This record gives sequence, C-alpha cells and structure tokens, in this order.
Amino acid sequence: MTDIAAAPARSAGFFFALAPRGKAAFFALAAIAVCLLFAFPVFWLVLTSLRPGTGVYYVHRGTEFTIDNFHEVLSQEIVLRALFNSFMISTLATVLSLGVTATSGYMLSRFKGPIPNVWFSLIYIFRCVPYVAWVLPLYFVTQQLHIFDSYWGLLLPHIAVHICFFSWIMKGFFDGIDPSMEYAAMIDGCSRWGAFWRVAMPAAVPGLTALAILCWLYTWNEFLFALILTAHETPILTVVMAQFVHELGMEWHLMSATAVIALVPALVVTLFGQRYVIRGLRI
Amino acid sequence: MADIVLNNVHKVYGHVVAVKDINLSIKDREFVVLVGPSGCGKSTTLRMIAGLEEISAGTIAIGGRVVNHLQPKDRDIAMVFQNYALYRHMSVRDNLAFGLRNRRVPAHEIAAAVSRAARILSIEPLLDRRPYQLSGGQQQRVALGRCIVRNPKVFLFDEPLSNLDAQLRAQMRLELKELRLRVPTTSIFVTHDQTEAMTLGDRIVVMKDGVVQQVGTPLELYRKPANRFVASFIGSPSMNFITVSVSADGEHFALGCQGWQFKLPARRFPDLGSHVGRSICVGVRPQHVRLGAPMNDNQIPLNGTVMVTEQLGDEQLLAVRLGDGEIRIAGVDPDLSLSTGSRIEAAVATDHLHFFDELEQMQ
Amino acid sequence: MNEKTRFMLALITPAALVLILFQVVPILTGANASFRDWTLHDPKRTWVGFANYLHVLRDAEFRDIVLPNTFGFMVASVACSLLLGLAIALMLNSRFPGRWLVQSFVLLPLMVAPVIAAIMIRWMFNDQFGVVNAALEGLGLAPISWLTQRWTTFAVILLTDVWLWTPWFALILLAGLQSLPPEPFEAARIDAASAWRTFRYITLPMLRPVMVVCIVIRAIDAFRTFDIVWTISGGCPARATELFSLYAYVEAFQFLNLARGSAAAVIGAIIIIVFALLLYRVLNRFVEVSR
Repeated sequence: MTDIAAAPARSAGFFFALAPRGKAAFFALAAIAVCLLFAFPVFWLVLTSLRPGTGVYYVHRGTEFTIDNFHEVLSQEIVLRALFNSFMISTLATVLSLGVTATSGYMLSRFKGPIPNVWFSLIYIFRCVPYVAWVLPLYFVTQQLHIFDSYWGLLLPHIAVHICFFSWIMKGFFDGIDPSMEYAAMIDGCSRWGAFWRVAMPAAVPGLTALAILCWLYTWNEFLFALILTAHETPILTVVMAQFVHELGMEWHLMSATAVIALVPALVVTLFGQRYVIRGLRI
Repeated sequence: MADIVLNNVHKVYGHVVAVKDINLSIKDREFVVLVGPSGCGKSTTLRMIAGLEEISAGTIAIGGRVVNHLQPKDRDIAMVFQNYALYRHMSVRDNLAFGLRNRRVPAHEIAAAVSRAARILSIEPLLDRRPYQLSGGQQQRVALGRCIVRNPKVFLFDEPLSNLDAQLRAQMRLELKELRLRVPTTSIFVTHDQTEAMTLGDRIVVMKDGVVQQVGTPLELYRKPANRFVASFIGSPSMNFITVSVSADGEHFALGCQGWQFKLPARRFPDLGSHVGRSICVGVRPQHVRLGAPMNDNQIPLNGTVMVTEQLGDEQLLAVRLGDGEIRIAGVDPDLSLSTGSRIEAAVATDHLHFFDELEQMQ
Repeated sequence: MNEKTRFMLALITPAALVLILFQVVPILTGANASFRDWTLHDPKRTWVGFANYLHVLRDAEFRDIVLPNTFGFMVASVACSLLLGLAIALMLNSRFPGRWLVQSFVLLPLMVAPVIAAIMIRWMFNDQFGVVNAALEGLGLAPISWLTQRWTTFAVILLTDVWLWTPWFALILLAGLQSLPPEPFEAARIDAASAWRTFRYITLPMLRPVMVVCIVIRAIDAFRTFDIVWTISGGCPARATELFSLYAYVEAFQFLNLARGSAAAVIGAIIIIVFALLLYRVLNRFVEVSR
C-alpha cells in the first residue's frame, strides 16, 4: 500500500485542465463519489445485519440496533458447518495448489522446447474454457470416483482450476529470479530438485505469499463449484448464502448477518495481506 | 537576446539542500557545460531552468525576463533527455511536429520546419519510422530535431550522450559541434564526463554538492584549477596529489615528504611563506612529468620506483612509488622497457606545480 | 529420455494428473454426453449424434435471448469497468490529501465475494424495502420494480458486475500508469501539450498494451459469469436474463438433461475460444504498433 502511495504523480489527467480552484472542487467531489460508490453497498449490508427482524424493512428509518441476527445465524448448524468447511477448503486448496503450481511454473520458466510448449498451450486452452462446460460433467466424474460432496471432491477440481490460473503467474515469478544462482548450486553439487527446492523456492517466497493470499481469497469466495459439487454433507458458505436468497427471501436481516460473517475473514486476509500481495506481484 | 542569468538560485528537498545559492551568467549563444559527479546538483539546476522543478529561492531570467513562475512551455526552451524521451508510438515526423501542433502553428509552417530540421540532422529517410525502429544514435538525432524544429532561445541537454557506447559518443560529440555551427543557440549541457565538458563547452561550470566550484574556459580550468576538487576532476589521467611540509630555508622554501624533497625560490613563490611549518598539498599532472634528470633550475626532481606499467600504444602510463605514496606519469615513450621495481629519475617544471591548502589553491 | 526431460516431466506430473482427471476427463465426458441422450434420471446414453446441438441452436430462447444477453452483457460490462477504472486510476495517480483513504475504499469490492455483492445490491434494489426505491420516493419519483422486468434486472446485474470489477481495472491500470517513464511527459510539458492532448497522444497509447490484456481477460470472464446472475435473478423474469452459463446449468440441473446442458456448454466453449483468439489478434495489432 505504502509503495503505491509514495510513487510520484506522473501523467497529467484531465483534472488539471480546470482552473486551480475548480480543479480542487472537482477532485474532491470525484473522490467522495468514488468512496461512496464502493463503500455504500457494504455499509448498507452491515447496517441491515444490525437491525432487528421487524425493523429491517425500514433500514433507513429505524433506530434500533441489535446483534441478535448474528446470534441466530451462528446458532444454525448449517451455517457453522459451512463456515468451517469453507475455511478448511480454502486453506487446504491454497496449500496444495501452491505446491503443484510452483513446480509447474518453474518448469515453464526454466525450460524451453516441446514439452513446456505443450504444457503451456494446454494450460492456456483450459483457462479459456468456460467452467460450465466441465463443471456439469465434473458432477458426474466425482460421483463415479465416490468423492462427490466431500472435501476431495471440491479440492481437486479447485486445484485443477488453480493450475490454469496460477501457473503462468508462477512462471512470471521464476522468470524474475536469476537462474545463475541455481546453476551455481548445481555446479556445487546440488541436484536439479535441490536447486529448485533450496535456491529457487526461497527466492520466490514473496511471490508465493502474494499468490497464497490471492488463492485463499479466490477459493473462499468461489461459488459455482461449491454449488454443483456439494449437497448436504459439505455445506459451503457461498452456497448457503445464495440459498437463503432464494428460499428464505424474506429474511434479509439473517442473510445480511451471514454475509457479514462471510465478509470478515476476507477483509482480514486482504487488509493483512495487501502489502505482501503488492510486494510479491511487483514484477 | 537569449542570455540566461541565475541569481542566488537555491533548491531544497525537505531538509536536503540540492543546489546552494548559484549565481551564473550565460551569454547569448554561449555553450555552457555543467559538470560534476552524481548528486552535485547539475541536473537539478538544469531542470529548474527548464521549469520542470520548482525553484526554492532566487530568480532565473531568460532573455531578460524572469521565468520563475512560467511553465516550461512558455519559456521558449527545448530539452534533450538522457534516454531521448521520444514519443514511442508516433512517427519521427509526428515527434518533431508535436510541439508545433500543440501551439497551433499552421500546417505548412510545420511541414517546412520539420523538413528543415530533418535536413540539418540528416534524418530525412527516417521521417516515417517509429522510434523503436531506430538505432540509439538515430534516436538521439530525432531528439535533437525536436529541439531545433521550434527555434527556441535555449537548448538544454541532460546527459544526452550517457546512454551511447563510447564510439557513438565520440561521433555524436562531433555532430553536436557541427550542429552548433549551423544553429548557434544558447545552450546548457549537463554531463558527468569531463571529456565531454572540455571538448564541447565554451565555458565549464564545475559543481560539487550543490555548490559551484569554478566557472571558466576549458583551458582556464585545466591550467588554473581553483581548488583540489576541480584539479582532480578535470584532466585525464587525473592529477597527482602529494602532501608535503613547508619550511623556510634562507631564500628558499624547502618542501618535502618521505622520499621526496625539493626547494623553491621564495621570490617566485611568496605565498608559500604563510604556510611555513604546516603541510600543504602539491598537485602535479601526470602529463607534466618527464622522465630524466632536471634539465635546468626551473625543474625539480621526482625519483621513485616503478610499480606498474600500462602500454597504450602511443604512450605508456607508469605508476611510480614516491616515498609513501604513488604518482602516475603519462606520455612515457612506449618503447621504453621498464620493469617493476626499477628506479627512475623524473622531473617536473616548477610552473607546473599546483599548491592546495586544504581546499584552495594559491600561486 | 535424458535426465533433464525426466526432471521436466517430474515437475509437472502432479499437476498433469489433476488436470487430466479433473479437467480433461470431465470435458471429454461432457463432450461425450453431449452426443448422447443422457438425462440424469434416465441415463440411457444412446448415441444421438448432433441432435442435442441442433436442439440448442434451434432453441429460440438460446438464439434470441441468451446469446444477445451474454454478448451484450460482456460488452457493456467491460466498457463500463474500463472507463470507470481508467478514470479512477488517473485520479489515484496524482497526489492529493487522503489518497490512501480513497485507495482503500476502491479496494473494497475486491474483497467481497461476487455472491455477497449480488446479495447486497439485490437487497438495495428490493422494490418494497430497498434503499434505492426509498431514495426515489424521497425525491418524489415513483418506485421502480427492479427485478420483475428484463432491462431493469439487467441494469442491476450490470451494476453489480461493474461494482465488482472496476477496482480490478483501476489497480492494474494504476500500476501501468506508475510504470510509465516520466521523460516523455516532461518532454510533452516542454512541447506545450495540454492535459487532454497529453492524455490522448501520450498516456493512452503507452497504456494500450496493459489495457488490451485487461480487456481480453475480463471479456472472457464476463462471458462466463454465473454467480451474480444466479443470485440476483436466477434468470428471471421468465429466463429473460439468462446468460450462457445459466442456460447450460438450467438445462442440466433443472431440466435434468445433462446431455443438452453439455451441448450448450460445448457450444459456449467454442464461441468463447474463437472470440478470445479473434479479440487477442485484433487488439494485438495495436500492441505491436505501440511497442
């Protein structure tokens, strides 16, 4: 965050075309409008979640505040289970994906020839395929493998997606790391694996951290796979919330509370990890 | 008239003083070089003249008009940047015409100006190419073209040759001098390379840590450096410095250090009198030391042991141990075969001695 | 097979396994299913050739509603997010007091799951109790029943998508702006370029490579949107706001016809791949020129 804020202003925008006083006013107005635009829905959600069930219908007129909604939502077993599952899935998926995509990205970065080319094209093509094309049959495949509606049934498809997303970002990281360190290590007696594990990976830690944070957030917020690949055994938070909308449409106060609860971890991870993401993605 | 006057110009960044009270007067059509090591404030000064940096205190006047509060575009200047700063996605022609188009100059005038500039710089065949299709030297010529196409009062150069390889740099120096003949304009040229400064400038301004050390013609700076910094900066290989103690000896002054003693007539060097009993620094240029014993009374001996020889083809450079220190000697006969450890005799004329008292020169 | 090759393959073996099992196999299964009569409650799986594809392509619903919806949404979403994102990036590129605050606000939507964003905005546009209608009433205007008509529902969906993705554009464009070399801009100042001319002739062309990449990525993703449409409208009213992904989903899980759903999905996949290639090639010409 601080890095971006410290960078000097460069190109002139249209704003400077206006007279100094007009410019300041326009700027201030624009800045306020932007803040409002992006913050308002979140603010409204939080406000709604704090209103009692009867008052929710006039959120803007009511004056009562309560945290009963949170109590009620958190007392529902399905919500608690969904919270736990989402958390576990996000974390596990992140850890496993990073391991798998790191090696994949490293290969793409350090080697040239037919094998990397084929792998790269494969990944690129699958990145473009719309999810729906393979999520539907994935439903079927996971059932065949008896992992439907379980952790592995979600983890493995997520990892497959992450491979496509993150391999080439990983490649970018490794491209930015000077390979001569690894050559030196190999001359000193290291095997290729050793060079990868002990030289390249530690150097890639900033990038890995950034990617871990992004991956975790992405999985936490993911919806489609969760919807199709889970049923009652493994509730996932995003699905549970969407179901509320369609089934309990009237109970907006409870739904807002659930949404706020779902929002908190994402907020914490983002605020905490922001700095690492920016540092790590600095290519 | 496009003279430039800097009056007590001062620049601070927070608590750091980048440029300290510069006073400078540049005549119309003069080519002045600002030279000095990194961080000496030369680029900052140039950018203040251009209007790209705010002036903390003092005034800058171009053509008699104070320009402190004028935008760069209103100062009637043109600037060549170190990395050319060409507009990457515009053709060469558009690059040259951009400034004129922004000023609403009629199209036929723009075309005339562009072709004139292209002719002068021999870049006519390149007019429809993009900058990324040009070599470094060609790009720099386009940057120069951008300057002359508007016929401004002042040219500003911010280390324009630093990105070129040595051979190209030498060639561009010649082209710059030729350009000067065809388009004589007041110019300020910033560089860290003393060779460029010496070969290009009518006058040179040596700067260090934001302060002007000396202003003068190349020869003035070479022969009469105002202080030790200027003496060490100008001239290549750089001047030798030896610390000696001064004592009185009848009608002479005896100067010397471990391994080197000599006498100077008090009549010719009266200023040394105030330094009797103290140490001063003697400067001798490598080019002024001649191998062999002193030939007359105006020469003093410099005898030492050869440490390193460097063969350059038309001359040799020697590094010679003199007492505790080491001096360099240039212009040695390339056929002379000297081995490490051999003792040699050398001499230097007393006229070629520079004396520095901590920082200043007296003579 | 030499040692280097073995190492290369070893590096990608786990990834390849997962990819094959959980991408290649499903896609092949889906393709296979699309050529058969395969319903979830009655898996006969007899080969029917292109019947499913023809059914989808002939479906008026598909041709007249889903396809235009999806392309229209894609164009509108990318255009709006790009313009807004560019404006915000320009604003954030200059120093002003409180810049870090505005920047934090701009990052907010990036933390929010699309589902949550959809929920928030859907609640705001609730026709009886939503804050938007309350504001309209306060201004003396009549409340609008947002989610019962096609175009208003579309507007809400579009708004949600723009809300979600503008910060993404803004951040990437801001990074792009800050990586631009300062010298051409200084030269432009000396060349008397106004703010607008600087923007148009210098900033914008230099930013084009970044913009192209953003547009292509976002266009592909916009095409595949599912979360927010499902949450806001579920395709209603009467399937009028269905996008591609929804159509396939509905065929597979509501009509329980996996075959037709897969066929629709495959058609969509082909369209998007072709489109992505075309888009990339067209925009790439600009990139080459501006290099």
